[in-house]
Amino acid sequence: MPKVLAVIRREFVERVRSKWFWVSAILVPLFLAAVILLPAAFASSGGPKRIVVVDGTGSTFGQRVTEALRAGTTFQASRVTASPGVIDSLMREVGAKRLDGVLVLARDVVRTGAAEYRATNVSSLRDIGELRRVLGSVVTTARLERAGIDPAVMARAEQPITLATQKISGSATTGESSAQSFSLAYFMGIILYMVILMYGVNVKSSVLEEKTTRIVEVLVSSIRPFALLCGKVVGVGAVSLLQLAIWAVAGRVLFSQRAALAGRMGGLETDGGLFQMPHVSTATAAVFLAYFLGGFLLYSAMFAAVGAMSSSEQEAQQAQQPLVLVLVASFLSMFAELNDPSSTLAVVLSVVPFSSPIAMPVRWAAGDLPPVELAGSLVLLIAGIVGVTWVAARIYRVGILMTGKRPSLRELVRWVKAA
Amino acid sequence: MTTPILVLDGVTKRFSGHTAVDGLSLAIPPGVIYGLLGPNGAGKTTTIRMILDIIRPDAGSVRLFGETGRARDHSARVGYLPEERGLYRKMRVVDVLVFLAEMKGIERRVARARALAWLERLGLGPWRLRRIDELSKGMQQKVQFISTLLHEPALVVLDEPFAGLDPVNTQVLKDVVLELRQGGVTVLFSTHIMEQAEKLCDQLCIIARGRKLVGGSLSDIKRTSSGQHLTIGFDGEAGDAARLFAERRLVKQVDDYGQYAELELTPGADPQELLRLLVASGARLSRFQVMEPSLHKIFMDLVGRDAARPVVREELITRA
Repeated sequence: MPKVLAVIRREFVERVRSKWFWVSAILVPLFLAAVILLPAAFASSGGPKRIVVVDGTGSTFGQRVTEALRAGTTFQASRVTASPGVIDSLMREVGAKRLDGVLVLARDVVRTGAAEYRATNVSSLRDIGELRRVLGSVVTTARLERAGIDPAVMARAEQPITLATQKISGSATTGESSAQSFSLAYFMGIILYMVILMYGVNVKSSVLEEKTTRIVEVLVSSIRPFALLCGKVVGVGAVSLLQLAIWAVAGRVLFSQRAALAGRMGGLETDGGLFQMPHVSTATAAVFLAYFLGGFLLYSAMFAAVGAMSSSEQEAQQAQQPLVLVLVASFLSMFAELNDPSSTLAVVLSVVPFSSPIAMPVRWAAGDLPPVELAGSLVLLIAGIVGVTWVAARIYRVGILMTGKRPSLRELVRWVKAA
Repeated sequence: MTTPILVLDGVTKRFSGHTAVDGLSLAIPPGVIYGLLGPNGAGKTTTIRMILDIIRPDAGSVRLFGETGRARDHSARVGYLPEERGLYRKMRVVDVLVFLAEMKGIERRVARARALAWLERLGLGPWRLRRIDELSKGMQQKVQFISTLLHEPALVVLDEPFAGLDPVNTQVLKDVVLELRQGGVTVLFSTHIMEQAEKLCDQLCIIARGRKLVGGSLSDIKRTSSGQHLTIGFDGEAGDAARLFAERRLVKQVDDYGQYAELELTPGADPQELLRLLVASGARLSRFQVMEPSLHKIFMDLVGRDAARPVVREELITRA
C-alpha cells in the first residue's frame, strides 16, 4: 500500500510543482475575468459622448430630446437651433475631435420619425440603441399628445412590466434565472470538457514517459501494474481537483467583486452588460463533481491504454485521435442539449457513458430532469468505468513492456485476451 | 556448498513464432559476480525479465533466495538496472532516488539520507536539487546505479551495465560492483563484451539462441572448453622433447624449432604434467608459458558465426 501512495504522491507533487499547472491555474480565471469585465469596459470606453442636437423642429420637441439624452449617462448633449451653415461648422468640430457626433432633427421628425446621426463612430450598438430608444420614446409621447391623450394616462401606459424567470426544481423554485441556468450549464460544459481532456492527456504522457525511459520495468518488478496504473490515475485526478478548486475560488471572488472591479475600470453600475452570477446549489455542485470524477476515470483509463500502446509522443498523438474526437463530439453536443434539454438526442447523450460526463451536468443545469434518468445515467457510467478500466488495464499491462510498432486492432484484442 | 541465491530450472519463454529462452537452467551461489554472456538476441534480457517477474516463463521455474513464489514479493532484496536506461527527466535528482527507493519499500526519510550519502560519494552532491535533464549523460548513469543500490539489495541484476559508458564511469561501476561483492552482495550482469566479463566474473554462463552452451567458474570453463597453448624455450639441452611433443594424449599440434616450440595442448590435458616429463627427461628450460585462451576466443568458438545472424524482433505477451 505505501508503494501506491508513493506513486500517487509523485504524480501529484511533480505536477503541482510544474509551471504548466500554475499557468493554467491563472489563465482560466483571467479568461473568466475578461468575460465578466470586458462588456462593461467596452460599453464605458471613453466616457460619455459629446454630441450636439441640431434642432430644426421649431417646437419644444428638440428641447425634450436633448433633456432626455442628458438624463442618460451615454451622452453629453447640447442643443443648437438649426440655421444655414451650422451643420458644416459642427462637422468641422467633429473632424477636429472636439465633438463626437451631431444629431439632426428636421421639422417633420415627429410625423416621419426620421432623424439623422452623424458621428465618427456609428458602429457602437450601445450608442445607437440609446439614441433610438430616446428618440422613439419622445416621438411617441409627442404623437400621443398631438392625438389629445392625457399625459397621466400615458405615464400609466408606459409603466414597464418586469418578467422574472425562475427555474423550478422538483416543485421548489431554485432562484436560478434562465440566463443564469444557461450560463451555468455552458460554463460547466466547457470546464468538464477542458479538464477531462487536459488531465486525460496528462495520464497518457505519464504512462508514455515511464515506458520510453524503461523506468516502468523497474517499477513493475516491485509493484503490480494495475496498482501502478491506479496510483497514476488517482494522483493526476487529485491534481485536477486542486485545479478545479483554485478556479472555483477565483471565480467566486471575481463574481462577488465584479461590480467593484467594473467600477474601477470606469464602468457603469448597470448590471445589464455584466455576466450573470450563476447560483450553484449543492445538488448542482454534487452532480458536477460526480460526473467530472466519472468522466475523468473513464477517459484517463483509455488515455493510459493509448500511452501504453505507443512508443513515442507522435505515435500517441495519433492513437489518441479517436478518444479526443469522442470528447469533442460530446462537448459540441452540449449546444443541442442547451437548446432543448429534454429532446431524445439530449436524453440519449446524457445516458451513454462516453458522452454523459459532459451531457448530463449540462442537462441538469439547463433544466429539471427526472431522477430516474440521473440515476440510470450514473449506474451506466459506473458500469462503463469498470468495463473500460478492465480492458484498458490489460492493454496497459502488455503495452508498457512492448517495443516496436504500434499494435493493430487485432493485436490489441489478442493482448486483452492474453493478459 | 551454500544454497544458491537464484536457481533457474528449465526456464522457457516463447514469443509468437520463436523461442527466446529454451530450457535454461542455472544456479547462482551467493556472493559471486555472475556473468550472463551471449550475442545480441541470445535471450539475455528475456531471462533477466523472467528472473524479475516482469514476464512469466511458459515453462520451468525461477527460485529466488531459495523460495518459490513471486519475485515481486522479494523485490525489496533485488536491485535492477534495465538495459535501456532513463529517469524521470523533469524530476529533481534526490526526488527520483527517494521515489525509486520507496518503490522498494524504503521509508522516505531513510531513503533521503541514503540518497544524499550516495550522491556525495559519487561526486554528485552539488547536483542533488537539479532536474535530471540538467545532468550530463554520465551523471544520469551514476544516478541510476545509485537507484539500483539504494535499498541495499542482496541480489543486484544489471542488464548490459557497461553499454554506453565512458571509461571513467566504466571504472566507477566496476569499483562499485567489486565493492558489492566484498559486502556479500550477489551481482548478476549480462553483457556481450567478453573483456569485461573476463575481468569481473567469478562464474558465468554463455547462452546463444536461448540455450545454455557452457556454465561454471571462469577457470573451469577455460580449462575445459578449448585447448591451451604453450610456448617453450630450451637452454641448450632439449632432453626428450621431440618424443614428448609427439604424445597425442598431451599435445595436439606442435611447431618445433629445436630451441623454441609453440604447441597446442589436447583439450583437458594438464600443462604441469608436460612440464614434469620434460624436466625428468633432462631438458633445461629457459621458458615455459601457458597461454590461456581468452574468454573472447572461447565465446567465438562456442557461439560460432551463425549466432551473428539477425534474430526476429522480440514480441512480448506478458502474464504479469
